[in-house]
Amino acid sequence: MNNFSFGQYYPTNSLVHRLDPRTKLIFTFVYMIIVFLIKSYMGYLFTAVLLASIIFTSKVPFRVVIRSIRAVLFLLFFTLIINLLFYNEGKTVFEWNFIHITMGGIDYSIKMLFRLTLLVMGASMLTFTTTSTELTDALEALLKPLTYIKVPVHDLAIIMSIALRFIPTLMEETQKIMNAQKARGANLDTGSFFERIKAMLPILIPLFVSAFRRADELADALDARCYNATDKRTKMKKLKFGLTDYLSFVGTIVFAVLVCLDAYMAGGAYIDGLIFSVIMGA
Amino acid sequence: MSAIELKNVSFSYVLSETEIVRAVRNVSLEIEEGSFVAIVGHNGSGKSTLAKLLNGLLIPDKGTVKVFGIDTKEKSTIYEVRKNVGMVFQNPDNQMVASIIEDDIAFGPENLGVKREEIVERVDWALSQVGMLEHKKGTPFKLSGGQKQRLAIAGIIAMKPKVLVLDESTAMLDPQGRAEVMRVAHELNKKEGMTVICITHYMEEALEADRLIVMSDGKVVLDNIPKLVFAQSKELLDYKLTVPLATQAAIELENLGISVGKDVMNKEELVERLCPLL
Repeated sequence: MNNFSFGQYYPTNSLVHRLDPRTKLIFTFVYMIIVFLIKSYMGYLFTAVLLASIIFTSKVPFRVVIRSIRAVLFLLFFTLIINLLFYNEGKTVFEWNFIHITMGGIDYSIKMLFRLTLLVMGASMLTFTTTSTELTDALEALLKPLTYIKVPVHDLAIIMSIALRFIPTLMEETQKIMNAQKARGANLDTGSFFERIKAMLPILIPLFVSAFRRADELADALDARCYNATDKRTKMKKLKFGLTDYLSFVGTIVFAVLVCLDAYMAGGAYIDGLIFSVIMGA
Repeated sequence: MSAIELKNVSFSYVLSETEIVRAVRNVSLEIEEGSFVAIVGHNGSGKSTLAKLLNGLLIPDKGTVKVFGIDTKEKSTIYEVRKNVGMVFQNPDNQMVASIIEDDIAFGPENLGVKREEIVERVDWALSQVGMLEHKKGTPFKLSGGQKQRLAIAGIIAMKPKVLVLDESTAMLDPQGRAEVMRVAHELNKKEGMTVICITHYMEEALEADRLIVMSDGKVVLDNIPKLVFAQSKELLDYKLTVPLATQAAIELENLGISVGKDVMNKEELVERLCPLL
């Protein structure tokens, strides 16, 4: 369970870590939209190179980032299979009973796979390089205008921060409960899919009970530390944009423009077509 | 001046219409400023409820709790109360709000609206008080229970409270962690003059206090310096509490007619008293 790394801060004090959290949050937001706009393989390659260079600069080891994919591996394969089976367009390459795989289906499924992978890796880069407190501060700063329409921005921000902070704690707890149930003869690893789901029940129930107990104690601890979401609150760390932040903004815009150009002027699609015809020819 | 004053305080948990648990029954206490007070009692004796009454996490059904003259019932001054009475709980994991140590320590002072420069100073001060300054930029996940609990203390003392309440803060720790936390508490009491109220069920911890309060069934049943409380070991056993082994041995010896005194607290003292008799 310890290899589940999504959402855990990975301190290396790199250039990426030192960026203003607002910059990273805005970039991640733009990045997520852009990833959905990509239409060509060239676009994916370009985005992947960009992501790889960010990972490289952040000094977070690649294997750690790859691990974040592992958590959603099932989802990835599930979407891959569903898309292969049910997206029917273009030339049919394989047909057997109800199974009907088309060229368009293959193309679409692979792109979806790339898209989800890039999304998850990009999003986890944000949490690898940004502490939950920084994220909270950034979110609070960016959503500040909403306080005028009475949205409890600070409360929302602290809820998110605490949720992130408790991921490792709850993972550890899950592992403990699993070990305890295994010690009493629970069989978690074998059996059919449904049997295994059923075997999870004695793990989930104590986990929920303990999570609620934790929440109760945490609420007391917050009260004991005078938590209140008034304007009187101060901040130890003030957010400040630096040169690297401005450069990152320029980079983000360039990235967005390039991908949009590629998607709507079809430059990448043209190169894709060339590569495709070469593969088909061979 | 007394730091905390409880007058005829009662508190009940209403579980259902027919089921009411009277956790604290008509307790009156005065906690002197600068003292180190231990409160012991078996499970369900009301000691943790009493702790929560001290900083207004619970409001008494009857009677009043005053912290430096401020009534905890008063909603408008509740933060003033909580600022003065810092509370550390049992599970260190459930008290941390941030995943970076310095951010977590800063949480309290930030809530109080302390100025930025002063928060930075307070964080360093609090961390050095508990001997964790070198972990300032790290995460708490890989630390031992004792270290995490010391951080929880740092998070509280960064608010500069006058009273520190440890609500069974050592219950989940190993012996080494317990010793670390108690050492920090005693240092804060001696060096910073902080009033410490330590709620525990470890008699060894109660030994070192200036004053020992024993609770049973929501009432204060014994309240004296530890030595004299332990001398009443028969009563302690009635309250389902055990006395330290050395004290127990001394009392048995006393019963056999060997006069070593009933106020023996530890092994060394017992040896000292026994040697002249040989």
